[in-house]
Amino acid sequence: MSIIKKILDMDQRIIYLGMFIALAYPILSPVILPVAIQDYSTQAFNFAVSIPDGSYVLIEGGNAAATHPQCGPGLTANIYHLLTKQCKLVFFSITAEPAYWTQVEIDNALAKLPATVAAKNGVNWVNLGYISGGESGVAALAADIRSVVSKDHFGKPINDLPMMKDINSAKNFAAAFWWGGSEGSIPYGIRQLVGPYNLPMSGSCTTNEVPNYSPYVSSGQLKGLFGGIRGSAEYELLLKVPGPALAQAMATNIGGLYFLGLVLLGNILYLTQRLRGEK
Amino acid sequence: MDMIWLGLIVGSFVSIGAYTVLIGDNPISKITEHLYTGILAGYTLAINWDFVMKNAVGKVQGGQFDFIIPIILSLMLFTRLKPEWIWISRYPVALTVGVGMGLAMRASVLSDFVGQIQGTLLPINNINNIVMIIGTITAASYFLFTTKYSGPYKYVNQSGLLFLLVAFGVTYGSTASFRFELVIGRLVDMLRPDVAMYTYGFLVLVAIILIYGYTTKRIPWYKGR
Repeated sequence: MSIIKKILDMDQRIIYLGMFIALAYPILSPVILPVAIQDYSTQAFNFAVSIPDGSYVLIEGGNAAATHPQCGPGLTANIYHLLTKQCKLVFFSITAEPAYWTQVEIDNALAKLPATVAAKNGVNWVNLGYISGGESGVAALAADIRSVVSKDHFGKPINDLPMMKDINSAKNFAAAFWWGGSEGSIPYGIRQLVGPYNLPMSGSCTTNEVPNYSPYVSSGQLKGLFGGIRGSAEYELLLKVPGPALAQAMATNIGGLYFLGLVLLGNILYLTQRLRGEK
Repeated sequence: MDMIWLGLIVGSFVSIGAYTVLIGDNPISKITEHLYTGILAGYTLAINWDFVMKNAVGKVQGGQFDFIIPIILSLMLFTRLKPEWIWISRYPVALTVGVGMGLAMRASVLSDFVGQIQGTLLPINNINNIVMIIGTITAASYFLFTTKYSGPYKYVNQSGLLFLLVAFGVTYGSTASFRFELVIGRLVDMLRPDVAMYTYGFLVLVAIILIYGYTTKRIPWYKGR
């Protein structure tokens, strides 16, 4: 058996081990590579900047345990950013697991905020928690919040929360952010918030879903898009508030280089094998 | 004891257990797989139960008796448990699907069809717009199966295929990157200075168990490729 065939038939577990080392090494010994900020992230950031101070903003938190490390830091940065603009934030989640993680991300943002920024539950932000019904739930929430939820994530009646006094539908919000994780739910927001209520919305999703949702940015239905760890890291950079996403983005770079090297090596060896007439 | 720290340690062990599936299916990976499925199912049930109690049962108790209807419809779903009564569950399912379809259709024509077409009506004044217009038209025309691929249309079709292949490449690259990010997310927690020692300990423990299992042939070695 030729050396080329041996390499091409290599046990996949060796490749996994190499990948593990490539991803773990930058976490143990941080390597900083330059980060070029993508247009979609810049557009999403500029959209957040353009929201008038003190506006009401609707935020869907869709990060679960798997996607929290990627998109969570971005949502944390988003909450930090909007609260420093005195915006009033209303959170909800359309799947069960992200309801918990959204609160984790709110807590992370609150822990970072300077003491001078007002961030009181019920006054500056409200977490409505889990809303059942998927897209139908979003449509109902957009039309009449109180028809869907009567208590917030902590079990407090929403009628007792000062911030919710004048809020009951999508019409009352100036903007929306859809942190969909890998739920695949951004189109729900476009169909039920952007279309019927003309509510300007920006999105966030995992890296693999960026190609699916980028056409919505091109068409103007989404004002911007943060994608995966890179999107989160770019938000942290643009906001000038360093966070955990930047270090993770570096590990992704090293993993990507390793992957690219394997793809190139595999193709070169395959072509060489074909040119030699080997099977 | 700090519960978050304890959670990270348990998470570290479970993650190592789950990743052993890369070596081959084994009892440790199976335990973690079942543990995850069970915990998630239990958590989802608890969250949904809480939602129904707060927002349906609670409202009926508060005098909003119209919420009895969705509660009855929800209960009708459980008739699936008895084969003779399955027909009863079809009514709430039909209602749910119908409402979902109606809501999606109402807006999807505008958002996914008209909006996307409008998004392609761009001025031909820069290279991005030109690529977008040509790409959209040729990729869409690739799916016209009623015309023979000959003459000038052949080149339109092949250009469409080229754009589609580029799009698939982007999707593949993004998916690979997403998988790295999933691993990185776990590694960041597992390699935290206050958790790393436990992670290394679990790694050694799992390695010992697997080596013992494979050498004594209690666990079959996975050879498939």
